[in-house]
Amino acid sequence: MDTKVSPDQVIDAQQVGRSVPRMEGAAKVTGRAEYIHNLRLPGVLHGKVFRSRIAHGRILSIDTSAARAVAGVHSVVTGEDIRRIIPEPYYGPAFHDQPILALDKVRYVGEPVAAVLAADPHVAEYAAGLITAEYEELPAVFNEVEAATSSICVHDELKPAITFPDLKHLKGKRNTNVALDYKLRRGDVSAAFASAAHVFEHEFHTQHIMHTPFEPFVALAEPLDDSVTIHSSSQMPAYVRLEIARLLGWPENKVRARTAYLGGGFGAKVYVKIEPLVVALALLARRPVKMSLTMEEQFYVIGKHATTFRIKSAITADGRIAARKCEVFWNGGAYADIGPRVSQKSGFTSTGPYQIECAEIDSAEIYTNLPPAGAFRGFGIPQLVWAYESHTDIIARALKIDPLEFRRRNILHDGQEHPTGTVMRDAEFDEVLVRIAARMGWDAPFDRGTGTKRRGRGIAIGVKASIAPTTSFALVNVSADGSAVLFCNTIDMGQASNTANAQLVAEVLGIPAERVKVTQADTDVTPFDMGTLGSRSMFHMGHAVRLAAEHARTQLEALCAEGGLTYTGEQSVAQAFRKKFGMQAGNIFGVGHYTSRYQPADPATGMSKEVTPFWMIGGTGIELEVDTETGHVTILRMVNVVDAGRAINPRVVETQISGAALMQLGQTMTEEMVFSSAGELTNPSLAYYKIPGIHDMPATIENEAVEAETRNGPFGSKGVGESGTFGVSPAIANAIDDAVGVRLYSLPLTPESIYRAICAARGEPLED
Amino acid sequence: MIPFELLEPRTLPEALGMLADDDTAVRPIGGGTALMLMMKASVFVPRRLVSLRGLGEALGRIELDAEGALCLGGTATLAALEASDLVRAHAPVITRALPHLSNVRVRHVATVGGALAHADPHMDLPTILAALDARVRIAGPAGHRTLPVDELITGYYETALARNEIITGVTIPAASAGKAAYIKCTTRAADDWPALGVAVNLACSAGRIDAARVVIGAATDKPTRVSGAEAALRGATFSGSTLDHAVTEAVRDAVAREVAYTSDAQGSAAYKRQLARVHIVRTLTAALEG
Ligand SMILES: Cc1cc2nc3c(=O)[nH]c(=O)nc-3n(C[C@H](O)[C@H](O)[C@H](O)COP(=O)(O)OP(=O)(O)OC[C@H]3O[C@@H](n4cnc5c(N)ncnc54)[C@H](O)[C@@H]3O)c2cc1C
Repeated sequence: MDTKVSPDQVIDAQQVGRSVPRMEGAAKVTGRAEYIHNLRLPGVLHGKVFRSRIAHGRILSIDTSAARAVAGVHSVVTGEDIRRIIPEPYYGPAFHDQPILALDKVRYVGEPVAAVLAADPHVAEYAAGLITAEYEELPAVFNEVEAATSSICVHDELKPAITFPDLKHLKGKRNTNVALDYKLRRGDVSAAFASAAHVFEHEFHTQHIMHTPFEPFVALAEPLDDSVTIHSSSQMPAYVRLEIARLLGWPENKVRARTAYLGGGFGAKVYVKIEPLVVALALLARRPVKMSLTMEEQFYVIGKHATTFRIKSAITADGRIAARKCEVFWNGGAYADIGPRVSQKSGFTSTGPYQIECAEIDSAEIYTNLPPAGAFRGFGIPQLVWAYESHTDIIARALKIDPLEFRRRNILHDGQEHPTGTVMRDAEFDEVLVRIAARMGWDAPFDRGTGTKRRGRGIAIGVKASIAPTTSFALVNVSADGSAVLFCNTIDMGQASNTANAQLVAEVLGIPAERVKVTQADTDVTPFDMGTLGSRSMFHMGHAVRLAAEHARTQLEALCAEGGLTYTGEQSVAQAFRKKFGMQAGNIFGVGHYTSRYQPADPATGMSKEVTPFWMIGGTGIELEVDTETGHVTILRMVNVVDAGRAINPRVVETQISGAALMQLGQTMTEEMVFSSAGELTNPSLAYYKIPGIHDMPATIENEAVEAETRNGPFGSKGVGESGTFGVSPAIANAIDDAVGVRLYSLPLTPESIYRAICAARGEPLED
Repeated sequence: MIPFELLEPRTLPEALGMLADDDTAVRPIGGGTALMLMMKASVFVPRRLVSLRGLGEALGRIELDAEGALCLGGTATLAALEASDLVRAHAPVITRALPHLSNVRVRHVATVGGALAHADPHMDLPTILAALDARVRIAGPAGHRTLPVDELITGYYETALARNEIITGVTIPAASAGKAAYIKCTTRAADDWPALGVAVNLACSAGRIDAARVVIGAATDKPTRVSGAEAALRGATFSGSTLDHAVTEAVRDAVAREVAYTSDAQGSAAYKRQLARVHIVRTLTAALEG
């Protein structure tokens, strides 16, 4: 909040559509912003975890004696100890499948087996290293396609949580690793393939990825008289409260979950992660307990699904996509987390943003003996776009149709039906393509390089649905001096949501955005919100905030009228309060809530008239140069264009686009969690897991949000946190093909994989 | 990390007295950039660390000796090398390479001694120093000795140093200052430990190469001289930065044939061999261009 901005600033000045500087910017760059990571409480114990070193096995015994004997160790806790306070210590949003500490079995290398508490974190860490466990080793399964039909099962029995109706039928199922099997059946697919002029079929792969937030998972639980407070770096405090209350069998109001700014989340910090363990440890020890995972440990908590995507298209003689079959296998790891939602909510868009009359999708979430996979910026969409936009490009090139023209010929327009059966509304696909092409000068001659340096260019476009139905609540509290505080659970983890929400309140109340304060989430005071994920907040919380502010304004206008005043913003309100209460006293509360509309999919066809309240659209154009002797790629130009509806804060929208695209660039070129044949992660460190640095950035980056309006969105807006990721990977692969005529089917696109493809295309494959 | 002893000697004899020949948990620490990573990963659990920082006055100097050889002190930081006018004048190949070597935070604390003693093959400086015919100065309980850089590093994380010896510096003979170039090639992010390092140092007179040192590093267990390539270059003539095609081919062949490349997370041996074939020519061109 900027108190230097005067309260008597003209009302009706536009607050929405203005690039208000980030409210927390100064505090962050001067090191004063609050992070849970820095929180210290007196008497705190630090928890360190002993992890499984095998991928699959029955626990025979755990020897904690050496750890207990270390001077300074408070206690050592195993899964059985946790049962003393939580009889059913299994958590998870989709399945109650994840034990707080391993019970009976371990299911991946890195799974927490025991925890040590000590006042000195170094002592706890040292002692954890002295714990040993004996296992009866079981065969393990790592590949998602193999696991789909394997007789090796990660879980003996499936245990869906009650929350998701479409998982109910999996309850009690045995002998399977399939944790969700979403199916879409539309039109006569076989007939379309039988009569197709051309049929194309390919298989694509994506790798395991980690979110790498710079603030690793951290949580601190404080047991109080008959309640518990959890300070956590969480994207979902309301869910933390709900799930902890469920585990403990307590009413929600005895659990308080609060956050501060997050040092990045990217989907890693949704639902609960280390919170159940920290709470259990604190309740057992009757002391505050803090756990701050190391950067290395983060790799064993949650990651992004590796995928195998088999895609097949029937193309008519005039270059139209008549039918598409998609078979997607999502490697969910050992625990489901929110993975089944990724494979369904993203799975139903597997055919891409195209007019396709006949479609068949099988999208399956598969358990394997690897670290769990869940939500990750894009929620599964980048994996899908990687496959369908590579495939689409191959088709265009094979049919000698310009890749832009082929896409525009098939792209969905407003009023047309998406294969799910939902009619497209406010979805500017064609405009996104047109703007990418215009910025790249697609029709102009292109310098293709010479000698060993070859140039190429490529485009790609993707679409994402929002998570629905979901609910947001907001509360606006106006004090007697007319200043306003917004209470909401949307977590600002760098996306500037506090600034955007302040702009909405300001717009409605007719005051400058700089005068609105936004609180940090604290479930004792901030009302419910489903969570900050999937770019849902601008739309859902945006509506709730707008409604809360409107509710406040109605009351403020009435208060003014009562005092014979006209409402003109803060000063009129201050006068009205003084008139009514005789002094500067009192409050006005404005409340608002919003639930998005949604129609569940027909179980027989997987179709729905209303799968999403809005569509996110993002495309990328790439120009690059390939060194044909080494396979090294230099990205010369990256053009990212999205449909973000109307931008509430144009500068923030721009940085969301570039941030998302650059994050995806790393996942395209360098990032990969590499596992040994025994399921051990070989590179759990930022030294060997390579996120891109400044020298990996494209020489030029352009970002644009097209002129658009989301008519059902708050002030015409919609979410934009992920759209920049969609097109990046396939646009790069398509440009590589354009440059050197080779096609890559697996991410990441390492120089070696490109060089090998070049050799293979020459008929001189490089030895292994 | 459990508590350990950190000693901060002020003199070299004092430091040498604190080291022990028979205890793997006692080590000298320079900048600590490699050691701390190993300690965080519990690969190394120290009982005692002997910090060499306090020896900076004696061991941190960058200077010319009586013969005009460039002497880099064992505790001189990589940042000091990068900024040094002497280094720029006498071994510009080092000055040019340093901005690409790790990052500015690491360079401000990592030391010459650490860069040599660590013997992780994925490093840049040892390869360059080997091409410059540098000798390592070593102090131990029995006195001082010197070793050529390519004899100091004996294998993957292995050196000819005894546990109670300290690298006091390296000496780059004035006579070795030829046309030198180094190319660092990374295969993951641009900013990474090298997957391959190629260093050449050519002594030339009037369009002719009189002597050559060719060293391949990072893609091998230790910096490796390529004698076939050196032989092919000896006596070769060049115009501008171009060598005879036959010479380049012979050099490429030797580099591909003579060197044992390793497969690891940065690439397969076959791919690194190809990278070396390409980059040796690019390095020679860069050296001849000056
Ligand atoms: C993120 C990162 C990136 C890096 N990238 C690169 C790169 O691209 N290229 C590159 O070349 N280097 C790179 N480095 C630096 C390199 O890996 C080493 O960390 C560094 O050279 C070690 O120097 P130090 O003084 O910090 O050694 P320390 O960590 O202090 O010690 C390393 C070893 O040397 C021993 N030692 C130290 N000094 C002496 C001495 N005087 N005598 C005898 N033994 C001694 C220690 O006992 C220890 O065994 C990078 C480092 C980091 C952390």
